[in-house]
This record gives sequence, C-alpha cells and structure tokens, in this order.
Amino acid sequence: MNIENLPQMTRFEVDEQPHIIVNKEICRACDHHACVKACPANCYTYDEATQLLSVVYETCLECGTCHIICDKGSLEWNYPRGGYGVCYRLT
Amino acid sequence: MAKYFDVIIVGAGPAGSLAALKLARGGANVCLLERGKYPGAKNMFGGLLHNTPVLNEILPDFHERAPLERHVYRKSISFMTPRAAVALDFENETFDKPPFNGYTVFRPAFDMWLAEEAVKAGALLSCECTAEDLIKKDGRIAGVTVKGREGEIRGNIVIAADGVLSFLAKKAGLRQDFKAENMGVGIKLLLGFPEETINERFHLVRDQGADISFLGAMGDMRGGGFLYTNRESISIGLVTHLDSLKASGKAPYEVLNDFLEHPSVKKLVKGGTPLEYSAHLIPEGGYKAIPNLFTGGLMLAGDAAGLCYTNGLNLEGINLAMTSGALAGETAIDALKAGDYSAKILSSYKKKLDESFVMKDMKTFKNAAAMMHLERLFRTYPRILANIMERVYKTDGVPRSKLLRLARKEALKEAGLKGLISDGFKIGRSLL
Repeated sequence: MNIENLPQMTRFEVDEQPHIIVNKEICRACDHHACVKACPANCYTYDEATQLLSVVYETCLECGTCHIICDKGSLEWNYPRGGYGVCYRLT
Repeated sequence: MAKYFDVIIVGAGPAGSLAALKLARGGANVCLLERGKYPGAKNMFGGLLHNTPVLNEILPDFHERAPLERHVYRKSISFMTPRAAVALDFENETFDKPPFNGYTVFRPAFDMWLAEEAVKAGALLSCECTAEDLIKKDGRIAGVTVKGREGEIRGNIVIAADGVLSFLAKKAGLRQDFKAENMGVGIKLLLGFPEETINERFHLVRDQGADISFLGAMGDMRGGGFLYTNRESISIGLVTHLDSLKASGKAPYEVLNDFLEHPSVKKLVKGGTPLEYSAHLIPEGGYKAIPNLFTGGLMLAGDAAGLCYTNGLNLEGINLAMTSGALAGETAIDALKAGDYSAKILSSYKKKLDESFVMKDMKTFKNAAAMMHLERLFRTYPRILANIMERVYKTDGVPRSKLLRLARKEALKEAGLKGLISDGFKIGRSLL
C-alpha cells in the first residue's frame, strides 16, 4: 500500500478551516517530531532546512494519534466542523 | 429543530444509537447528534460485530435486516516471527448455526442502519453536528453547544457516546488526560476480491467468515495484526500501543506494508484491490483506566467510557458499547420518570454496568492491560514457539530431544529464567 494514494482510497470532505493548528515555535524546539512518523495518514512533515513543521489537515483520518503523542503541547487539535473531514464509505 | 429534549445523545455509533432506540421506545423525546455526514462516517473497527444479547433483545430480527457481511466460523491466532508462523486454528460447528457468535460488518453501513432504527422509533437524528462543549446549569449538565452553529441544544440528560477521544468527558471533568501507553491505534486496509477467491483462500462456504489475529511480526513494536473476511473484501490491519509506536520511530503504514509482505500473510492478500484505508484509536487501558462514568445530567457510554478490553485472545468493544448504551438509556428512562437528573439517580447506571457482563469482563481481565505491555510477548515468545516447532519437524540428523527438554532449552535461551518467572507471573495473573 502506498500512503501517497490515500486520497484515492479514502474520501474526505475538505473544510477550508483547519482543525489542527501547530505552534511552529514549539515544534522548532521539539527534540523528536514523533508526529511525523507516527501519523497513520502521513500528514506531518518537518523541513530540516527551514525547521518548520507543517500539517496537511486535508487528509487527516481524525484518529488522534498526534494529539496524544505530542508531549510538547504544540497541537491545537479539534474535530472538524460537522460534516467535514474523513468520510468512510466501507471500512 | 426543537431546542429542548428529554435526552441529548452525542454520537450515533453503536452505543449512542442503542441508547436512542431504547429511549425513543420508552417514549422519551430524544435528539441523537452525529458529527459525520452520516452515522458511521467517522467510525472504524477491525471488523467483528460480536454476538450481543442486548442487540438480540432490542432488535430480535436484526440478523435478517442489518447489513451484515459474514458470520465468523473460523477463529485463528497466529504467533509470528519475521520468517515463521505458528497458528492455532479453531473451527466449530456451533459457530456455524444461529445465533451466530459474530458477524463481520462495515461500520458506515451498520451504524447507519442502527441509527435509522432509532429514528424509526422516534428519535431525532441530526448529522453534521459536532458537539463542542457542555452547558452547565444549577451544578449539572444541561445540554451541549454545537460547533460552528448558533445556539445551544438543551436537555435534561446528556449521554456522551462521543467515542474514544471523548472531549465531553474531559470537559465534564470525568477523565484525566490520556496516557500514550493506554491507547492503541488501529490502522486498516480494505482489500477487494471476488467472493470465490475469499472462499477458496480461507476454506469457507456460503456466508462463513474467518477471523485471524496475529501476535508479533510488528518489528520492534508491541502489537499485532488482524484479518477479517467480508463478503467481497478482506479487512487487514494492525494495532499497536501509542508509546510503542512513538518509540519505534516507524510509520504505522510502513509496518503494515512489512506485515503484508510476511510469507504467511502475502499469500492471503495477493491480488487484492485497495478499497479504503482507515485509522482509529482504541482505549486499551482496561479496567483501571475507566473514567468516572456519570455526573449530574451526564452519562458516558461506549469507547467514551473506556469500555474495551483485550487480553491477547479477545478484543471486545462494540458489544460492550451497545450494552452500555442500552443501560444508559434505561437509566435515563428511570430518571425522566422520577424527574430527577442528579448524579445520585444516574449512579444506578454504574450499578447496572457492574452487574452486567460488561464490567464483569473488564474486571476479570483487569491485569491483562499490563500483560499486553510485556515486550517479550510480541517478539520473544513467538520466536520460542517457532524455534520449538522448527526443532520438532526439522530432520537434519541432529539427535532429537523430548518436548519438555526442548521447550525448556529454547525458553531459557530466549527469555532467561528471571524473565520467564516474571512474565509467567504477569501472564498467569491476567489469564489463568
């Protein structure tokens, strides 16, 4: 399975309002960036050159893994507004 | 939409919908809120709907009307090393006759069907409503606010069946922050196949289904794999504790891909068409991690109440969820009759749960959560088993040992005497 194909496999109703907001300052000082690897949907990227953590909330599966493993308090993590976000068809 | 209800239920999953159904039938004015586009849009599980007495009782003909895939006839557990697998396969004719012991289902289909049953009974289902906060009045919970919408929904009682992350339980002060070691993440890939291929590959006929769990083969992580057969697809995935996932530094889908390449798994999933990929958290803290289940005007049900357990052999949640939902519904009916929504009257919910199999099973396996944190359970013991089996069957001119001697030698070599005693104690306390 190629995680890059996630949008072709799973349906998302994308909201223009992000439901995850990262604090870039806190993330810059973070020593593990565990969210980058642990996210089952590969939503997080850390750019070593710019030292910026970014999140693609559009393909978030709303599992909450990042919300629990982030021990730096950097994430403002909420459910998307009603009707938006991941929309499982089968599973 | 009317803004005042007898009971507001947050989450149209199995717990919420069963609570709504029970209440609506009892004549209550019920509002069932769901944040997804439809019930089940946000829900995922491994794949097995366990036989649940309360579901049979409330909807006796559900097996004829609900969208079910296959009834589970074959149960297997496979102990995996990177190169070998030792499997225990259980087929039982009683699992092939009604009442079936469990069905594989698709959650969006099943949850939608169950919520519709509540609607038919008179509940008001309102989708695309994310409950954001609780409304407090006179020292008790008296409603919810909905994200991105004006106004509030008020009621006498709120049942929070808002899932594993239950932000409402947190806001009510019923639970602490989660610990990574008490939380599992499940990821799952749905692979499509022709029905005949599944029947041939898993030795099934008609509507028979297979449920296979895999212990080990997750690299350095504490975790296991699962496989369920649906009519024309296979659900395959893995579950691991979040602390272990974090420590491994691996991406879960990379571990899943390695698992799919395991020689004994590869042949089962060969040629499948990826249909959907999903992920969800699982409350795995067991009995000791159960939050407070009620306060004035509020009860927790299902995953929100932490009602889920695994002991390595059983992994149950949906049956506990539905039972807790029905009991919360019953309690709410009593409270409405009495016109009293205080913590004191809602405490009978906890009592009902304690008397049911839900809390009894959670209690019986209260030490299993700690056992499931034994690193050796996932790597060393499967390897010991595989080594023993290899020596039993390998014919290479090396003189044979009797079984006990062989087992002792392998176990001591891999785990050491101290390790064996300490693990034996923990495993014994959990299962024996």
